[in-house]
Amino acid sequence: MNHKLAVRELVKVFKGRRGSGDVVALGGVDVHVDKGELVSLVGTSGCGKSTLLRIVAGLADATSGDVLVDGEPVIGPGPDRGMVFQGYSLFPWLDVSENIAFGLRLAGTGKANRKARVDELLGIMGLTEHARRLPKELSGGMRQRVAIARALAPEPDVLLLDEPFGALDAHTRLSMHEFLRTVWRRTGATILLVTHDVDEAVYLSSRVYVMHAHPGRIVEEVTMTCDPDLGPAVKRSPEFLDVRDEIHGRLMQA
Amino acid sequence: MTGPPIVDAGAVAGEAAAPGASGSRRHGKAKGRGRKQSRLFELRGSLPTSWRIGLAVLGLALVFGAWLLAAATLNGDSEVVPSPGETYHAFVDQWQQGNLWLDFKASTGRILYGYAISMAIGVVVGVAVGSLMSFESTVEAPIAFMRYVPATAMTPLLTVWLGIDEAPKITLIVLGTVFFNILMTADVARAVPRELIEASYTLGARRRTVLGRVVLRHSLPGIVDVARINLAAAWLILPISEVLAAQEGLAFRIDRAERFRNVDTMFALLIVFGIIGLASDLGLRWLRNATSPWATS
Repeated sequence: MNHKLAVRELVKVFKGRRGSGDVVALGGVDVHVDKGELVSLVGTSGCGKSTLLRIVAGLADATSGDVLVDGEPVIGPGPDRGMVFQGYSLFPWLDVSENIAFGLRLAGTGKANRKARVDELLGIMGLTEHARRLPKELSGGMRQRVAIARALAPEPDVLLLDEPFGALDAHTRLSMHEFLRTVWRRTGATILLVTHDVDEAVYLSSRVYVMHAHPGRIVEEVTMTCDPDLGPAVKRSPEFLDVRDEIHGRLMQA
Repeated sequence: MTGPPIVDAGAVAGEAAAPGASGSRRHGKAKGRGRKQSRLFELRGSLPTSWRIGLAVLGLALVFGAWLLAAATLNGDSEVVPSPGETYHAFVDQWQQGNLWLDFKASTGRILYGYAISMAIGVVVGVAVGSLMSFESTVEAPIAFMRYVPATAMTPLLTVWLGIDEAPKITLIVLGTVFFNILMTADVARAVPRELIEASYTLGARRRTVLGRVVLRHSLPGIVDVARINLAAAWLILPISEVLAAQEGLAFRIDRAERFRNVDTMFALLIVFGIIGLASDLGLRWLRNATSPWATS
């Protein structure tokens, strides 16, 4: 089977300082994401989920194991794997449009195509009227929408989200969940989401990987069966609550 | 209201009496919870613009008043403190003789020349030091060493090497500021958020692009700040370079005035230094905000 993204037997060891032992951040992790899937990695802080995402992005090296996108090994960062960080990652001197266009400029996309793509994303993100604003003039939720648009602009094979809503207030986070679902549906993007928020993972994903720490490993893989058309109401369905409680229980065992 | 009724009643009464009521002030502490604090001395507080302008004028007036007082009381047989009027006349005198313009051009020319070289080196080396650990490790020790060698103590060496023309004067200004510029620029480059650099990579940027389009761009307002702060050090070095066989220059002229004990000329030229410094400070502040409006609050 050809997965869009495949992570195989990934090991990451951080060399300890003198006197303390090595830390095994990832102890042989297997994860895959198929085309058009939205898959989550949940785990408590320090379980290695962000390390995994950084290795997939090419921002960190693995000690051993492979990361494959469309069967090709990842050897460094590239625009085929767009990434969204928790915050503070927009270029503060560029306005919303220019931020979104950053990757397109690097790719040498012509001015007309660039504008068309930026306008399209501004529309999807509901940012059209804020196109000329600087990041410092935007709310936290809007900034993350811009960050997602910027990562999507070069049409990546996989979109990597590293706790993208972790710094937002509870209410904004909920509206961002609806927003991400809409974006996912309209763009058909393949998404790997890292989060410590179980509700977020269960609500947004088609599959959830549950991680434990020391060493970082996958302890469970849950496939969602909830009706995707239910919307936020699904959060009160017995199915949703069962899965959520199961994952919470699994995390408690760590 | 959650507290015991008696305490609450007291607090309310105290609050009502406190604002501006001279009666309660005369009795010392106003009654009520907490400590009522004056806005004038609020730590890290802000004041209305009118207050700020008023206080600025007050500050200048105090200095001017102290000057007038000193001129009126300190002068005995010989003049030690010239009055503002005498200073003004000395200024006009220098201007009419044509000295002032020549001196101004010579001094600012040396500063501009030397400091431009110093900033150019400071930006290139500083951004490299702040961004590349390999580079930092290589040059850190030599820079730390050179920073503690007083540039002014190198004057004799510079005359041996470079003679007594403009070259040693400009070199002295470079040596006296470049190591500070490098280290402070390195700190500015280190302050670029890691996420910005990593986001650039995931958008397809290569290292060289990230260095120019992200690190340097993000550092720009900080670099202008560094330029502004260390410019004072360049002016600090200037007098040493101008006693080194100069024919014109503001510090040279002050040195010359000493021979005739022309304190009024000294005062006039010292004030010129201050004005140039103030103007360049304001100019660089403007430049920072004009080039990086995103970095102003």
